[in-house]
Parts: sequence; structure tokens; C-alpha cells
Amino acid sequence: MQEKKDAMFSYQFPDGDRRLAFSRQSSFRHSHWDPPLPSPSSTPIPLMPRSHSFKPHLARSDSAVGLPLLDNSGHKDATWVALILAPVRGVANGSRPMKRLALMISLNVAYSMVELLLGLFTGRVGLVSDAFHLTFGCGILTFSLFAMGISRKKPDETYTYGYKRLEVLAAFTNALFLLFLSFSLAVEALHAFMQDESEHKHYLIVSAVTNLLVNLLGVWFFRSYARVNIVYWKPEDMNYHSVCLHVLADSIRSAGLILASWFLTLGVENAEVLCLGIVSVAVFMLVLPLFKATGSILLQIAPSNIHPSAFNKCSRQIASLEEVLEVSQARFWELVPGYSIGSLSVQVKKGVHEDRILQHVNGLYNDLGIQDLTVQIDYE
Amino acid sequence: MERQRSEGSQTIDISIDVPGDISSTPENPKICAGVACNLSNSTAATRERDTSMKKLSMAIVLCIVFMAVEVVGGLEANSLAILTDAAHLLSDVAAFAISLFSLWASGWEATPRQSYGFFRIEILGALVSIQLIWLLTGILIYEAVQRLIYESGEVKGVLMFAVAAFGLVVNIVMAILLGHDHGHSHGHGHGHGHSHEHGREHDHDHADEHDHDVHEHDHDGITVTTHHHGHNQSPKDASEPLLKKSKEKKKRNINVHSAYLHVLGDSIQSVGVMIGGAVIWYKPEWKIIDLVCTLIFSVIVLITTIKMLRDILEVLMESTPREIDATKLEEGLCQLEGVVAVHELHIWAITVGKVLLACHVTITQDANADVVLDKVIGYIKREFNISHVTIQIERQ
Repeated sequence: MQEKKDAMFSYQFPDGDRRLAFSRQSSFRHSHWDPPLPSPSSTPIPLMPRSHSFKPHLARSDSAVGLPLLDNSGHKDATWVALILAPVRGVANGSRPMKRLALMISLNVAYSMVELLLGLFTGRVGLVSDAFHLTFGCGILTFSLFAMGISRKKPDETYTYGYKRLEVLAAFTNALFLLFLSFSLAVEALHAFMQDESEHKHYLIVSAVTNLLVNLLGVWFFRSYARVNIVYWKPEDMNYHSVCLHVLADSIRSAGLILASWFLTLGVENAEVLCLGIVSVAVFMLVLPLFKATGSILLQIAPSNIHPSAFNKCSRQIASLEEVLEVSQARFWELVPGYSIGSLSVQVKKGVHEDRILQHVNGLYNDLGIQDLTVQIDYE
Repeated sequence: MERQRSEGSQTIDISIDVPGDISSTPENPKICAGVACNLSNSTAATRERDTSMKKLSMAIVLCIVFMAVEVVGGLEANSLAILTDAAHLLSDVAAFAISLFSLWASGWEATPRQSYGFFRIEILGALVSIQLIWLLTGILIYEAVQRLIYESGEVKGVLMFAVAAFGLVVNIVMAILLGHDHGHSHGHGHGHGHSHEHGREHDHDHADEHDHDVHEHDHDGITVTTHHHGHNQSPKDASEPLLKKSKEKKKRNINVHSAYLHVLGDSIQSVGVMIGGAVIWYKPEWKIIDLVCTLIFSVIVLITTIKMLRDILEVLMESTPREIDATKLEEGLCQLEGVVAVHELHIWAITVGKVLLACHVTITQDANADVVLDKVIGYIKREFNISHVTIQIERQ
């Protein structure tokens, strides 16, 4: 970890100082990304950067989700089914954040069940809608949990890059849900504004308070991720951040409802509209950086922690070698935060031995932070 | 689109797609040209994209018109049900807008930051679209529950039925609009790399004369007849009849397909609400049937989205596309002369149909790297129709 930070210092960072804030979080890190191992071949080229080798911190076995390996067709449907059948074992063997998330989800589910039944029996629509909302949120959180569990599987034939991407995907789904939430709150505010009759749904206060407490508990669990802008070092960072933002947004919403109710009793007009509007804007601003970051990984945008001029510099350095004619098709993308992949094509003069070039190119890009590079050498 | 090609990025070396240029590359297929065809835009793709964009725009305009009608009618009749249906139509507009934007974005040129082009946007757009469908299904279930709770009989079965019928008609019109040219330019999919539709890696609007009927999902023994390489751009009318007789019924453009799914889901739900409305109209005390119906139809809608979700997930997880057998590819490569082993094989897709490959090939000490590279790239292109490959040759 330290070497990586040192290597990064030589390049420009937009928010370089924030990284230091994470040096005390080592207790949360359970395992670093294990690069997919090259098959045993006697290649002399050190393709995996030794200086950046990440050693797994996890004391328990790495693939703690002990899933029965099905016939290795790698067919996706069968794998998903088997995984769904073993969630309890997975959580029990899982890391601490996983257990906390599972606890939160079960609390939420229990609470929403109670609310739903109560709402149905007493005929209170507000309770039912709140229960629905909670259930939706729980579903998304369960997907995050699922992603945490699966992401530790080793790469297999179909998923040659492993399953870590699922964490990014879960974070994206969370961010998307929060955006929808913000939008729906805005619609609700508009609705309240147009209807102009403030319905004093006081029975909702109890539900809002309970919701707030449960969500604050969740925020406490993931308190190190309770910020808007985080530099992501590992895929789990994104997932945890998204869960934290989810809980945070939910608690803000409950707080907003409580505030609105209180203002209404104070006689402030349009309190509901105001509070809902503020909450909607707050949630939107909260989630936008996460959405952009996860979106840019899913869109295969070039690694964000590497300045584009650094790529150009490397390219020029390679092109300046005397055997090299030109460098083309240099493409880089991030698989997950902390693991970047690239490919490029180098045209060299005839008869040049490729080992030296490969070593040089690999070394250059490894220093940059690209862990997996495929170099195609074309002879002119 | 050709105009903009010259203002390319610094790192991407995309050759200009002019006649005769690409025909010179069969002997040197490793460099840019193969990439250019797959990841940039040829005339065929642009044409197809324009058609799809036109269709989506028409659908959006139609939707807005209907929505305006419903809003006015709902405000007049002071009915919440009609306004709710108008909101559903608004969601349709949102889905179409997302698809339209994704379609438009996929035509943008690649930049250094976005080195593979903007094709991924359509996958994310489709994902957002499907999330919208799920959200709406949830809202519909919630509404059904709400109708159940409001025992006061505010619900008028007639109104529900009428509104749902109107919504159904609108949705059917749009489904026809979006899906009507099955055999038309949609056989193309995205025009290039659909490995199970075309046997070519270069221009695809002409080359399918022979392989159309033999080209199923596996690629055994399909060879590229070289005389097609020289044909860069065939006249448009020669290509149209081929496209029309295309037998590929699926793999239409993913954006149009997701918009189509949205409309289909809405029609199914309209049918469900209609049945519920009819039941309540006929026997107002059987309110629970409404909820049951809605639940059943919501499940049906969710099932229709599962297939597309699988495709999206496959792409986003950077997994090997379903149509390519990685083991066979590896075995085939190992059998080539000079190749000792293949490792670090990664096959992944940018979007449905555009596949990329990267691997390390170990060759014997005395083999000619250039020759082996040629053979490997040629083999992959021939058998699996993956044109953008990056091969790192290492010696033992």
C-alpha cells in the first residue's frame, strides 16, 4: 500500500491530501485485490508488478464463500442459483462489514414487514407506502451484500477478470436508486405544493423516528465512508461507500419528515414542501460523485487516478526508443478501483528481440499503475 | 461521420475508411484497420443508427401527444387514475429519451480518456431503463395495494377499464412503431461485430451473401473468402435486399430493444389493470382480484426483462461473451505451429456484439514472431470473428 502511495506522489492528484485520511482504516481492509495469476509458464518477463504485489490480509481462507463448484461450464444461471442457496453460510464467514450489513438488512426487513402488516390492517396508506419504500431499499442493499459475498470468488473461465466488478455494479445500482429517490422526493414536494393541503399524518412520525434510528445505526457501522468524495483504493470501498450513502440518505429523509411534521405543528406553512425539497437536493448532491465515479468505471473511462499527461509521457518515452517506430492503440481502463488494465500496440524494426521491449514497456506502465498490460509487437 | 474521423485522438490510430484502403490490409491485418471497423463507425452503422433514432424520436413525439391528451382529460374529469396513467406515459418518454441519448452517444468519436469509444453508454442506458421498469412495476403494485385499502369504493371499475384500454392502444401503436421492421436494418444489430450474424470483420452491409444461411451461432469451419476483403463499400441498394431477408430475429439494437421492452411491459400491465377494472366493475366486492391480477402481470413483466438484464450483466462484468467458446479458442491456438502455450486469455465485450480479445502467447525459441502473430490473429478473426485482438508474444 505504501509503495503505491509513494509511486503516486510523483503525479498530480486533484485531492491528493485526502488519501492520508485513510491510513488509519487498515482494520477495515480485509483483503487486497489478488491479480489473476498467470498460468505457470516459464516466461522470463515479470508481468505482474512485484512492487505492487498485494498480499491478502484475510486470515480466514480467501474464498470463504465455500460454494460447491458446479460443472465448470461457468454457465451463469446455475452459478447464481447455487449462490443464492448459500447466503447464510457466506455471511457467517464473511467480513465484518458484511455481517454488519446483513444485520442492518434484517432489521430493515423485519421493520418493514411489521409496518406493512400494520398498514394493511389499520388501513393507513402512509405506512404501506413507507413499507414499500423500505423494501425496495432493502432489495438494493441485499444486492450489495450479495456482491460482497461473490466478489471473493476466483476468476474462472467465463469471468476471466474475476467477480470484483460486481461490487462496482452494486455501488452503481445503489447510486441509481438514490438518484431515483431524490427525484421522487422532488415529485412529492411538488405534489404537496400543488395540493396545498397539509395532511397531518402524525402516525408516520413513529415510523420515521424508528427508521431514522435504524439508519443512523447503519451510518455508524460504515462511519468511515460517510463522506461525499472518497478516493477509492479497492472495489470494496465503492460498495461500502454506496451502502453508507444509502443509509445516510434514508436517515436524512426520515429526519426531513420529522422536521416537516414539527414545523407543521408550529404552524409554518408549506413546511412539507420546503423540507422535502431540501432533502431531495441534499440526496442528489450527496450521491452525484459516487454515481459519476462508478459510472466512469463501468463506461471504461481511463483510470481516474492517473493523469492523462502521464499516459502521453509514457507513450513518448517508448516511441523515443530507437528500435520503436510507433506506439498505437493505447487503451486503458479500470476493472475496479485499484486495478487498471491496458493494451497497446508497438511497431518495431525488423529483427529486434522482443523481450527487452516488453520488459521496458511493462516497467514503464507498471510504475504508472497499470497492473495488467498486453503489448502487441508488430514488426514492420 | 467520416469528416470527424480525421480529428481523431492522439493515441488512437484509426485509419480512414475510404475505398481501397482496407483492401490493402489483409496481409497486414494486425494494425488499426481491424480496430477501426469494429470500434469506430462505418456508413452502415451510421445509417442504421439514424433509422433507429428517427423511430425513437417519432415514438417520443407520439407519447408526448398522448400524454398531453391524457393530462387534459384527467384534469377535466378530475380523475386521479387518468393522471396516473399520464405519469406512466411520462416514464415511457423517459425510457425513450434514454435510449435515444444512448444511440446518439454511441456515435461519438473515441477520446483518449474514453479510448474504446462511447458504446458502453448504451449498456448503461439500457440498465437505467430496466431499473425504471422495475421501479414502475413496484409503483403499480403499490397502487393496487392502495386501491385495496381504500374500501370507500372510490375506485370506479369503469374508469379504470377505460383508461387502461386507452393506454393499451397507445402502447400497441408504439410497439408496432418500434418493432415493425424485424427483417429490416435491424438484422444488423450494431452493424459490426455481431459474431453470430456476420462472417466478416470489415464492412458488413454487403458481405453476407454466402454466409447468411450457414452462419449460426458457432463458427466452426466458416472461412472468410478473401475476395470479399476488397469490397469496402458496396452500393446501398445491393445491401438492402440482403438485409431484408435476414433471418436474425433477435439482436436488434439494444437501445431500441430496451425501449420496446418498456412498451411491452406497459401493455402487459395495462391488460392486467383492465382485467382488474373489469372485475371491480362487475363485482365491486372482489377487490382482491385486482391485486392478484396486478401481481401476476408484474411478475410477467419482470420476467421479460430478465433476458436483457443477463446480457447487460454479462457485458458489464467483462465476462466472456456467451457466443464464444474460450476453451475451443485456446485449444485451437495451441494447435497452431510455433505456439507453445496461451495464457492470460481475456475475451470481453464493449457492448453486445463488439468483442475484444487480449492474451499472451508463448512461442518456441526459434519461431518467427511475426509469422506466428499473423497466424494467431488470422485464426481468431477467421474462426471467431473477433477483429480487435492484442497478442503479446513471448518466447519460452
